[in-house]
Amino acid sequence: MTIELDRDFLSDEEEDGNNSRPGTASGDGVPKKGDPVAVAVRLRPPVRIGIGERFQSSDPNRQLEVSRFKPVRRLLANRKLQFLLILPNQIVFWTVIFVGLFGTVVPGLNFGAAITWYVWFCLVFVMMVVVGRAWCSMCPFGGFGEWIQRRTFWKRTQKALGLGKKLPEPIARYGFIIPVVSFLILTWIEEFFNIAGPGNPADTAWMVVGIVSFALLFFLVFERRTFCRYFCPLTSLIGTVGSMGSVAGFRTKDRDVCLSCQTKDCMRGNSKGFGCPWYTWPGSADSNLYCGLCTECYKTCPEGNVGLFVQKPLTSVVQPSRRRADVAWAIALLWGLVLFQQINSTNVYASLDNWLNKKMSFAHYPNPIDYTVIIGVLALITAGIVLLLANALAKKDVNFVQSGDFVDKKSKFRAFFLPMMYGLIPIVGADYFARQLPKFFKHSARLVPSVGHFFGVGGGVNSSIYSFHIINNSWIVVVQVAIIALGTLGSLWAMWRISGRDLIPVSKNAVSLRLATTSLVVICGLAASILYVAMHAAS
Amino acid sequence: MTIAPEVTGIEALFPGFKRQGAHPVITIVADRCAGCQECVIRCPVAALSMDTKRWIAAGDSDLCVGCRQCVRTCPFSAIYIEGDPQVSERCLLVDKEPEELLYNVDELRQGFRNFEEAYKEAARCLTCPDPTCVRGCPTHNDIPGFIAAIRESDLEKAASIISRTSSMPDICSRVCNQAAQCEGACSWSLAQGIPVAIGKLERYVTDHVQVAPPLVSSEKKDLKVAIVGSGPGAIAAAWELLQEGAQVDVFEKDDRPGGLIVWGIPDFTLPAEIAARPWHQLVEAGVNLFCNHKVEPSEAESLLGKYDHVILAYGASIPIKTSAPGNTYQGVTDATTFLQKAQANLAAGGSRKDFFSALGLSRPSLDDNEDVSEDIASEKNSYHILVLGAGNTAMDVARSARRFGLGATCIDWVDEKFAVARPDEVAEARNEGVEILFSTTLNEILAENGKVSGAMLAGTHQEAADKLPKILTGRLNKIPVDLVVMAMGYRIDPGFSSEFVPMPKTRAISWQDNMRWAASGILATKSSPVTYSMEVGNLSLRREDALLQAGTAYKDRLWVIGDALIGPATVVEAMAHGKKCAGSIIHSYESAQNKDPFEGLNVLVCYDSMGGTTKHIAEVITESLPTSVSTKTVKSINDVNKFDISSADLIVCGTWIEGLVLAKVGPSKNMMTWIKNLPNLSGKRVSLFCSYGFDPKSSFEKMEKIFLQKNVKVIDRFAVKANEAHKEETKKAVAAFVTDMFAKQKIKAVKR
Repeated sequence: MTIELDRDFLSDEEEDGNNSRPGTASGDGVPKKGDPVAVAVRLRPPVRIGIGERFQSSDPNRQLEVSRFKPVRRLLANRKLQFLLILPNQIVFWTVIFVGLFGTVVPGLNFGAAITWYVWFCLVFVMMVVVGRAWCSMCPFGGFGEWIQRRTFWKRTQKALGLGKKLPEPIARYGFIIPVVSFLILTWIEEFFNIAGPGNPADTAWMVVGIVSFALLFFLVFERRTFCRYFCPLTSLIGTVGSMGSVAGFRTKDRDVCLSCQTKDCMRGNSKGFGCPWYTWPGSADSNLYCGLCTECYKTCPEGNVGLFVQKPLTSVVQPSRRRADVAWAIALLWGLVLFQQINSTNVYASLDNWLNKKMSFAHYPNPIDYTVIIGVLALITAGIVLLLANALAKKDVNFVQSGDFVDKKSKFRAFFLPMMYGLIPIVGADYFARQLPKFFKHSARLVPSVGHFFGVGGGVNSSIYSFHIINNSWIVVVQVAIIALGTLGSLWAMWRISGRDLIPVSKNAVSLRLATTSLVVICGLAASILYVAMHAAS
Repeated sequence: MTIAPEVTGIEALFPGFKRQGAHPVITIVADRCAGCQECVIRCPVAALSMDTKRWIAAGDSDLCVGCRQCVRTCPFSAIYIEGDPQVSERCLLVDKEPEELLYNVDELRQGFRNFEEAYKEAARCLTCPDPTCVRGCPTHNDIPGFIAAIRESDLEKAASIISRTSSMPDICSRVCNQAAQCEGACSWSLAQGIPVAIGKLERYVTDHVQVAPPLVSSEKKDLKVAIVGSGPGAIAAAWELLQEGAQVDVFEKDDRPGGLIVWGIPDFTLPAEIAARPWHQLVEAGVNLFCNHKVEPSEAESLLGKYDHVILAYGASIPIKTSAPGNTYQGVTDATTFLQKAQANLAAGGSRKDFFSALGLSRPSLDDNEDVSEDIASEKNSYHILVLGAGNTAMDVARSARRFGLGATCIDWVDEKFAVARPDEVAEARNEGVEILFSTTLNEILAENGKVSGAMLAGTHQEAADKLPKILTGRLNKIPVDLVVMAMGYRIDPGFSSEFVPMPKTRAISWQDNMRWAASGILATKSSPVTYSMEVGNLSLRREDALLQAGTAYKDRLWVIGDALIGPATVVEAMAHGKKCAGSIIHSYESAQNKDPFEGLNVLVCYDSMGGTTKHIAEVITESLPTSVSTKTVKSINDVNKFDISSADLIVCGTWIEGLVLAKVGPSKNMMTWIKNLPNLSGKRVSLFCSYGFDPKSSFEKMEKIFLQKNVKVIDRFAVKANEAHKEETKKAVAAFVTDMFAKQKIKAVKR
């Protein structure tokens, strides 16, 4: 398909000679007020063809704009908003470091360890599922790095601290794969040093210090939130699972206004705010995947064309028309990791790990070989099933052109793998959530004595609240299985919708495809549920 | 699905374009590209298109010529180009070598010899859709437009395109430092390639198409304007005003018009007949020129009694003097004196004897009849002059000196990397035997019998362009010198500068004030191969700031432009100021003449709102403005920038009223600070409004008091009770206020 670009820009349109007054002439019908050289500017018209196809399904409903309401508008326009979101977390975060390093070594009584492992992850998870990247807007790691990089808490500053490098293309092309790797490494470290157990609270503190130093380093070497987008261990999980969330993020109200905009203040930044730190343009955002809810685009848009939208749950899972391979592989690997975390509490795994450690004279659990191999194999098994399905179900006459780069290359396998992995997001998310529940139900009450201990009051480990379990182990399993069931239902619905739009057109037979995708989800759900029953609420 | 443009490469697009160097390869970071199309709409050769399925940019490396405007404009740095800029070598022009320097005033720099050469150079231009060169040009010539016309062999059209923005292309093309302006901002230059020779092309056009005299409107306006000074600023202003049918009287203190372009630039750079051309045409077209008529600073304002508008364009003509010990000895002179004497002498055919005696140099052995050509080469039997400074004026002095057989040394305390002279001029001067010492400063002037005999020089060290050099007094060097010429720059006549203090600047312009500057990519490259270490983007932004000031009256009906406004600058900047100022005068005249008082007005409604009531009223006011208004802008005062203020004819300014019911009632603090920080706003009208809870008390008076300091007349006021703001009657009252305000605006504007 070809489209004729405007080749007439050489033609001399302004014959009237009245060019001394700025802002009167325009190249493509867009008034360029205040630009003294308007007469010599002959920009090509932006491409508009195909835009409906690309964005119609994922554009949020205009009725669901939250920024219609005045109090919301005023809040979002305030430069201090993000600072005020980060500040409380920042205080907690330094407390975790301080108390972790210098407080009691009893993990349950140490406020730092207790809040991190019993409560924090569950809370973040709930936020993810409901809001998306809400955590990112208040994250103390990124927040701290950004304060230093920008040399301010909330003001719009001109000169950034640091080298301001851009992440080179050879790395950036792998997108979400990089943070999955850093998540795998972090998880392994957590397991090896028994940080998340939680073990010695000082280890938790050191881990937090490690992450913040890592983040700071990246904030000083690279521009914007390169760390958050490409390296943060949590970004792949928050991004994918967060796409179930009901906040669509900041999106354009009228795409035509964005296309005609010649300044792109939301990307470059202006006197009202910084350019998008997440490398997202509201004019082309099709999901909440990369919207860090930092409000900068809302503040900078000269046309007031950016709004904060809510959406129905799972919209960002089901609707985007550009499915990214890095995201799909990230989901497969995250799925492998969470299954590993379930398997690792079984006796079979324990004996395997011991045997391997003895053979390799490796100190103790978890052996890096079985860790990576099991996770890798689980991800590959998932992909393998999809490959089999693709071979069995794909239409013969569909031509999958093998071109493009890693993120967007097309192939028969990918035509099935990408949509199916998106469809598994709810079940993966549910599994991560369920995995955290034992700690929450059994120990979150310890937050009370840990705070007490900090101030030297309360009974410590002897107090009844210290050993108070919200529900007993059997009920925990019931809740876990229920959560998985809920996730499975979500996945079934998402997979049904995705199949209808993305998979059936490339399949021979709609019925067998529906059957296959449904079975895939059910099998995943069953696998997770069985493992939870076997684990019996181990934390 | 990739949308490919229907072209087969740059050769099809621009016949004559020659590729050179390794072929570029475009890489688009698919992960970061957001499909904003900033690159697609700007690519000169349509090498970038949209992959609409993925909604990211797609690059066709075969079409790419490596100008990298996409790299500079991509907001997310999601595009990389490898490979050299594909631009061919510049058409090499051999400037004339002055074989015989003595008394030689022939123009040295040569234009293109024939159309073929010009065409070849024109074919190097990419006709960028968002041309950065135009932003680099102080007067914003439509450079891609006129170069495209050259390619079409239509020189008449090229000349007419240039004439829209410039009345002196023949002069500018010879004296402009293109490296810091258009050529420094050329796409090729920003991509570290060799820019299109824009100056030479402009010259080619004017060499072949005579600059047309001003087209005097047959419809005479009842508008009398006086201009003080006759330099480039005055020329452009007179030109523009004359074309619009105004009566223009020009007062020049010298015996001939033209100011610096006539006596300050030697004939070998700017031939006398070209320098005199604008005034011939202007006088012929009907400008009343009064030479030998010095307007004293104290008289300037009294001219307002006789004229509708007075433009002060007296330039910056007072040479800066050295403070080194010995600056009072006989034999210390300034560049103006030297250049004027040299010019007069050369114009009369040239006589060393007369020139030397005019400068007070005398040595019996030197005689006019001697055969001096050998002496010039060996610098025997001659005098040696020391020129303080190595800027363009210093080069003119030294090169003029060489034309009398004088030995010349220029010293400048800046590092050569940060020099301000035109790079080609420095090279030419060196070629003519001028010794130029950078990183050198004058420590002391030595004398015998009260006459200059030598100079003690010291080395300096400069780390960065924005840092002052450090003087290294440990390394002193004595040289014999007969004459010291101070060419260290000029300043505005203190008589004028004390009378007309330059406008209070709130803050220098920043790129955020005009995002189009950032979007074009001109600010993304710090330096280019032709500009020493000057940042062309920032330079051009600063020039834009000055241009805005030139378009705003200094006081009611009194305008200051050119060097008089900003200190010593360039011919083209002064010309741009003149044009801008004349445009503003015509605009204010026309809006006052219109039968419909609204017609052609730019109205800015700005407000400071607490709970939204004031904002609501501001919006109602904006809605009530009739459609015949030229532009209407409604903004919170926090969003208003210099461009808004400078283009507004009428500012409607509203605030909420803060304070307790009875005590400390007044306009909001935010509003008061904003007004205090405003620049001079003379020539503009302001109307006030406010929303109050109980009683606005003296709020209007408080605002008016500060507005008065900005030379603004407050023409109307309007107060709304906050709880009535949304009522229907308020809407009617607002409409009445708007009509009343415009009626008053009209009356005040017409009154002389």
